[in-house]
Amino acid sequence: MSLWNPYASLTSGQRRKLGVAAILIVLAIWSTLSGFGLVGPVKLPTPWAVVQAMGYLAWNGETSLLLTATLWSTGRVVAAGILVVLVGVPVGILMGAAPKINAFLSPLIDPFRSAPIVALLPILVMWLGIGETMKIAFLFIGAVVYLIPMVRDAVQAVPQSYWISARDLGATHWEGITKAIVPMAMPRIADAIIVGISMMWTYITVAEYVNAREGLGQLIQNARRFSAMDQVFAGIIVIIALALVTYQLMLRLKKKLYPWETSL
Amino acid sequence: MEAKPGAAPQPISLVLKEIVQEYPAPGGGITRVIDRISLEFDRPGINILLGPSGCGKSTLLNMMGGVRPPGLLAPTSGTILINGAECTDAHDDAVMVFQRYANRPDLTVYENVAFPFQLSLWKKKVAKTEWQRRVEDMLKAVGLADKKDLYPAQLSGGQNQRVALARALALRPALLLMDEPFGALDAQIREEMQQLLIDLYKAWPCLILFVTHDVTEALKLGDRVIVLSTQPATVADDFIIAEPRPRSSTWQRSTEAVRLEERILAQLHQVSAGRGAVRVSI
Ligand SMILES: Nc1ncnc2c1ncn2[C@@H]1O[C@H](COP(=O)(O)OP(=O)(O)OP(=O)(O)O)[C@@H](O)[C@H]1O
Ligand SMILES: [Mg+2]
Repeated sequence: MSLWNPYASLTSGQRRKLGVAAILIVLAIWSTLSGFGLVGPVKLPTPWAVVQAMGYLAWNGETSLLLTATLWSTGRVVAAGILVVLVGVPVGILMGAAPKINAFLSPLIDPFRSAPIVALLPILVMWLGIGETMKIAFLFIGAVVYLIPMVRDAVQAVPQSYWISARDLGATHWEGITKAIVPMAMPRIADAIIVGISMMWTYITVAEYVNAREGLGQLIQNARRFSAMDQVFAGIIVIIALALVTYQLMLRLKKKLYPWETSL
Repeated sequence: MEAKPGAAPQPISLVLKEIVQEYPAPGGGITRVIDRISLEFDRPGINILLGPSGCGKSTLLNMMGGVRPPGLLAPTSGTILINGAECTDAHDDAVMVFQRYANRPDLTVYENVAFPFQLSLWKKKVAKTEWQRRVEDMLKAVGLADKKDLYPAQLSGGQNQRVALARALALRPALLLMDEPFGALDAQIREEMQQLLIDLYKAWPCLILFVTHDVTEALKLGDRVIVLSTQPATVADDFIIAEPRPRSSTWQRSTEAVRLEERILAQLHQVSAGRGAVRVSI
């Protein structure tokens, strides 16, 4: 079987084997580099040191620093995520449904997709202080400027034939949007939400660097200050794992909600 | 769908007056696609609009259904009157059936047929118990009662078109506009669907405009056949077929049928001079 065939299907066993192999190779290179002292422990801790650090963070004899930090970060992502969905989805739908609204709002939103959102952080600190409001606002802005255009594109991608047919069957313009276009766009809107929420996990550390008192970002920041690279690595791995789990859960939920989508 | 006493299509009249349609031509200027077509329909019947591919049949039919190409005036000039009133938008009494079935992939067969009744227009007109009965009846009539919980992707092309027919007729339309509804189906299924249409029409004899480029289909279904020329479309021929349906294969081989077929083909060859393609399926 040739390697070059984009449509070849892998069994889940094959896929898992290849995935595990890739991780093992990285671990092997990592162990070699750190274990034989090719890179100093200050720059690159050994995998084992990271495991130990993870264990320490999970339970240091009194509390679980990791659990507390995870709960704080998750809480912020959830709070900002709810806001992003509540604002981003309706605005995106309105833009997708009405070219005039789109023409009016897109110059205000689209440029932010290519703007360095992180550069907004100082401004937000100036306006909103260094508390929770600022952190949630930062996560919100970071994700919503991506979510809105994606939702709009999802709405615009619905084939016109569904609109024509609904109108022919007696739908008002508004019903054409609410009863034909939006239901048909839902799977792609769900994709947009998944991307938006996943993106927040990448912004969370940045949000928590400022006035870090709780959260995974703070945990990493503190560890870096004390040159505890093993803890920095442990923190990063936890964030990646959380992002991955969130992503998978949301993907599964989406597949369950829109089983018809694969048949498009 | 059984014809019930008291349930019959509203009488309807459809008049096309001097319809002209022009499109911007690719290299600048304009192309006239439809040239001063005038037609009148004032009684129930299956009326065939026959013409070569690309001659403007869909353009004409869409106009009657109130579907306009985005950003264009349609028709460019002329008027369409439904029951004497000018028709400029989707009309309550007119329902369309498209070649590419417009079934919603996110709704089950039942929900697809019931879809119009979720709209304010039909909610006002038809009580829930009434539309539920109609939907069930129509599903039975098109032979999909046992498939009502499946999604369109789980159905064949012919079954999908049955859903579209059921949805259209559940609205009890006075005017049914069909744009090559069986064009995407293979020969055997197409024949089944033609028979189904004949049965459905018998139970609900409304005014049907049926677009096709299949001469055999036209002769099998049409009470009246209107042959369109191409580039631009004009009415090249317009005649009645009195033979009752279903039309036996004996009739289809009769001198009358063969003569009609030759008449259509001659007309099409003459007007299209080999430009469009007309399919003759046996
Ligand atoms: N929006 C448009 N802009 C420009 N030209 C158009 C437009 N819509 C249709 N046309 C042209 O008008 C002509 C008639 O198109 P139409 O779709 O009505 O043909 P048709 O008879 O239905 O063909 P077919 O049998 O292939 O469905 C074609 O030449 C087409 O290219
Ligand atoms: Mg057409």
